Amino acid sequence: METIHQYFDLNYVIRSLPDFQIGLIWTLETGAVALVLAFVWGLALVALIMPRFWWLRGPARVYIEISRNTPLLLQIFVLYFGLPLIGLVWSAFICGVLAIAGQHGCYLADVFRGTIESISNTQREAAKALGMSRFSVMRLVILPQAILKVLPPLGNQVVLLIKDTSLVSAIGVTELTLVGKQLVEQSATTIEVFVVIALIFLVITTCAGLLMRFIEMHYRVRF
Amino acid sequence: MFDVLYSSFPYLMKGAVYTAWMSVVTIIAGSLLGVILGIFVIYGPTALRRIITGYVFVIRGIPILVLMFLTYYALPALGVNIGDYVTVCGALVIYCGAYVTEITRGAILAVPRTQFDAAKGVGMRLSQYLRLVIFPQAARMSIPPMLNNCIMMVKSTAYVSIVGVWELSYAAREVAERTLSPFQVFFGAMIIYFAICYPMAIVAQRLEKKTAYSH
Repeated sequence: METIHQYFDLNYVIRSLPDFQIGLIWTLETGAVALVLAFVWGLALVALIMPRFWWLRGPARVYIEISRNTPLLLQIFVLYFGLPLIGLVWSAFICGVLAIAGQHGCYLADVFRGTIESISNTQREAAKALGMSRFSVMRLVILPQAILKVLPPLGNQVVLLIKDTSLVSAIGVTELTLVGKQLVEQSATTIEVFVVIALIFLVITTCAGLLMRFIEMHYRVRF
Repeated sequence: MFDVLYSSFPYLMKGAVYTAWMSVVTIIAGSLLGVILGIFVIYGPTALRRIITGYVFVIRGIPILVLMFLTYYALPALGVNIGDYVTVCGALVIYCGAYVTEITRGAILAVPRTQFDAAKGVGMRLSQYLRLVIFPQAARMSIPPMLNNCIMMVKSTAYVSIVGVWELSYAAREVAERTLSPFQVFFGAMIIYFAICYPMAIVAQRLEKKTAYSH
C-alpha cells in the first residue's frame, strides 16, 4: 500500500482542483467555439467545391488538400506568429480556435461532399418528376437521408476535434494540457496530474460520442 | 522574398530527416502492434478481447499530446530512462496501435460471413480459412484507411515538439523566432510535411474510388 502511495498521491491533484477547473473551462470553450466554426466553414467549403461555382473549385480544392495534409500545430503557429505581422493582433485563444476550425472545416467539407454524392441522382430526378420544387426536394428528400448518413462520420470528427483542442496549449492557452504541464513543473508529482487529465479527456470525448450516437438514434426513429 | 526560407531550408531538412525517421519507425511498429491486436480482438480468448477493447477505447479517447506528456513525465519517475526520442516514439506507437486495431477489426468483419460457411463447406481448417480467405481480402480493404492512418501519424509527429523533442516543427519554430519571418519558415515546413503526406493521400483516394466502384 505504501509503495502505491509513493507513486500515486492524489493530494496534490485535489489541492489544485481550481486550476483544473480553469483548464476544463478553456478546453470546453475552445472545443465548443471551434466546433461551431468548423461546421459553418465545412458547409461553406462544400458549397464551393460543388459544380455550381466551377471557377472556385480549383482554389478551394488546393486549400483543402494543403490544410488536410499538414500538421494542425503548424497551422496554429502560422496564425499565431504570422497574423501580428499583417497587423492583426488577436489573442492566442482566437488564433487557436480559428486554426482548429480551419482544418476541421476541411475534414467536414469532405464528409459532407461524400454524403451528398452518396445519395443517388435518381432520387433527385424522381422528386422533380413528382413536381417538387428545388427547395422541397432538398428539404423532404435529400436532407433527411443526408442527416442520417452524415451523423456517424460527424460524430467521429467531433471527437477528433475535441482531442485537437489540446494543441492550443502550444501557444499558451491555459487549457487542461497546459495546466497539467504547469502543475507538473511546479511540483514533484509526475504521474497523477496527467492520469487525471487523461481521464477528464476520456470522459469528455465519451460523452460527446454518446451524445452524437443519441442524436443518430433520434433521427433513425423519426425517419 | 523567400531569402530566409532559402537560407534556413538546410536546417529544416535536417529536422525533416528526424520527422521521417520517427514516422517510419512508429508507423511500422504501431501497425504491426495494431494488426496483431486486431486479429486477437476477433479470434482471441474473451479476457484478452476485453483488455484490447479497453485499450482501444482509452487511447482513442485521449489526445496524443496528453499521452506523450504522460509517458514523458511518468517513465523517468518510474525509473525507466530510455531517452526523449524513444519515450515519445513509444507514445506514438501506442496511439497508432489503437487506431490500426480498429482498422484491422473493421476489415476482418467486413468479409461476408457466407465465406466462412463456404470455407467450412470445402473442409478448410480455421488457420487455412484465415490465411487463404480472410487475410487477402481484409488486407486489400484496409489499405486506404491504413494510408490515412499513416498521414495522421506523420502529422502527429509534429506534436512531439510541444513536449520539447527536436524535429521539423521544433526546428521551424526555432528559425521563425530567430528570423522573425514566421510565414516563410512555417510555409517551408508545411511544404515538407505536405510533400510527405500528399502522395499517400492521392493513393488512398484512388484506391477508395476503385473499391467504391467495384461494389
